[in-house]
Amino acid sequence: MFAVETLDLSKRYGKTDALRGLNFTVNEGEIMVILGPNGSGKTTLLMILCTILKPTSGTAKVVGIDVVEEGTKVREVMGIAFQEARGFWRHKPSSILRFHASMFDIDPAKRQDLIERTMKDLELWESRDKMFMHLSGGQAKRLETAKVLIQQPKLAIFDEPTSQVDLRGKRKIWDKIRELRDQGSTIIVATNEVREAEYLADRVTILHQGQRVVCDTIPKLKDAIAGGDIVEVDFEDPVSGKLVDDLNGLGGDVSLSSEGNQLRAKVSRAEDWVPKMTSASYIAGAKIASIRITEPSLDDVFLHFTGKALVDQP
Amino acid sequence: MNRVLTLAAYNVRILLSERTWFVLAWALFGLQIAVYGSLMSKLVSTTVPNYLFFYGVGLMVITVFDSGADVGRHFVEHAHEGELPYFLSLPVSRGGFLAAQAIYGVANTMIKVLPPLIGVLWFVGDLTVQGAVFALISMFLLGLGITGIMVSMSFIAFKSVDIYSAFLAGLSALIVRFSTVFYPLIFMPSFYSPISVFSPLTYGADLTRWVLGFDSNFLINPIFAAAVVTGVAVGTLSLSARIVDKVIEGVKAA
Repeated sequence: MFAVETLDLSKRYGKTDALRGLNFTVNEGEIMVILGPNGSGKTTLLMILCTILKPTSGTAKVVGIDVVEEGTKVREVMGIAFQEARGFWRHKPSSILRFHASMFDIDPAKRQDLIERTMKDLELWESRDKMFMHLSGGQAKRLETAKVLIQQPKLAIFDEPTSQVDLRGKRKIWDKIRELRDQGSTIIVATNEVREAEYLADRVTILHQGQRVVCDTIPKLKDAIAGGDIVEVDFEDPVSGKLVDDLNGLGGDVSLSSEGNQLRAKVSRAEDWVPKMTSASYIAGAKIASIRITEPSLDDVFLHFTGKALVDQP
Repeated sequence: MNRVLTLAAYNVRILLSERTWFVLAWALFGLQIAVYGSLMSKLVSTTVPNYLFFYGVGLMVITVFDSGADVGRHFVEHAHEGELPYFLSLPVSRGGFLAAQAIYGVANTMIKVLPPLIGVLWFVGDLTVQGAVFALISMFLLGLGITGIMVSMSFIAFKSVDIYSAFLAGLSALIVRFSTVFYPLIFMPSFYSPISVFSPLTYGADLTRWVLGFDSNFLINPIFAAAVVTGVAVGTLSLSARIVDKVIEGVKAA
């Protein structure tokens, strides 16, 4: 059974299709990152999964429970950290978390310890007596994350969990999300931040204009780009044209620098190509001084699959 | 059920933290009774016996109406301040969520109405536990009905808060003015009284007066009034439950 499964899921706002026949699955115990630019349908999908929005057509199930037919049961097993941390203006973070814990039946005997530990982990403890409206944007986002962490739901959803959070805070939130996965929760993270996706994802689903473009692990997504890996090889001496021809025969696109001692190859899988290249070089008597391999980024992956940049360039 | 009560208790705690508003509401009630109630009582006392008492109950019913309207506004504020999506993500059924709102509304109404009720009954020398309890039950039912109407109307606010505010002001004027809160139905002119029978406040006010022992010759049949007040409460709460479940989705996001 999938932790999340949608079948032909659509959502229409007036004349705008936010989701168009989306088929999407998440395995139990994985972190699925949904990557897509603003307006791609990420938040709409999450809102449907947590039963706030209703689909226009199609079905969605969370741990086998239909989100439309049995909304309350779905809400019992999932928790969501919203993209916009708003509301509860005149409440203190500790009181907000106590209320949240009581709504999800967290053991009263352990509640206070859990809240204190989570707040300290997310560096919110010092702000525990501030009103919500006096928290910074980053603190409010961390509080939103803290709600889900104390809840430890079967399905945890984080919608852009680190927007407005500083670098140090981002790393803390990411580590806590991974920790939550290690404790057995299934996790969905929606983001348009490549670093976040690369740090967290077990698998990535690329969403574009309300449709799933592709879903796989990051290495496989990168490997799927033809000529995706770039290998730069420095030789101690200029190499022969025959070696270049031999290397071109291994697949990929090999070019030689004007000095003749530096090769640059665009290959599909560097881990397959490099051993073959070193053997061919050895046979040709060419001594290798250094090898550098660079991968395409998720930006490149997104560009490859959608033809558009993930984040609009200024 | 436990979660519904937890949610309601949370809302009520917010309510109790705003004590200043209650003091102001009680002060305003006292001022209206002391000034306008006394003046109007002198003007109409020849035809309605103990008009000050009649007026006092009417004023309490207006307070009930205002409290019900507060719940509607509270609900809309939840939506516009971003709290509604959070509440809708909690493990409570939509009906349970609405029940929590209604409990909040009832608490709000009772806090605002109870001291004036005791004050008025004491002032007219008719303070009994039985009278106070039945009057509270009558106003409680009316309050539920008003809450249901206001929450049902709140979907308008999802289109435009301005339209909702204007609509609410218009509705309030109609429901309050065209009712028996200040004048008995039998004394109303013929062009006015047919409209009054469409206001739920007419039935709530007359039922409350009847349970407090006011001369029934000036009131609507109490059984009919009780049936209407109960019907409005059940009907509008059912409608608002349907609206919360089917229409309002809390947030639209792409």
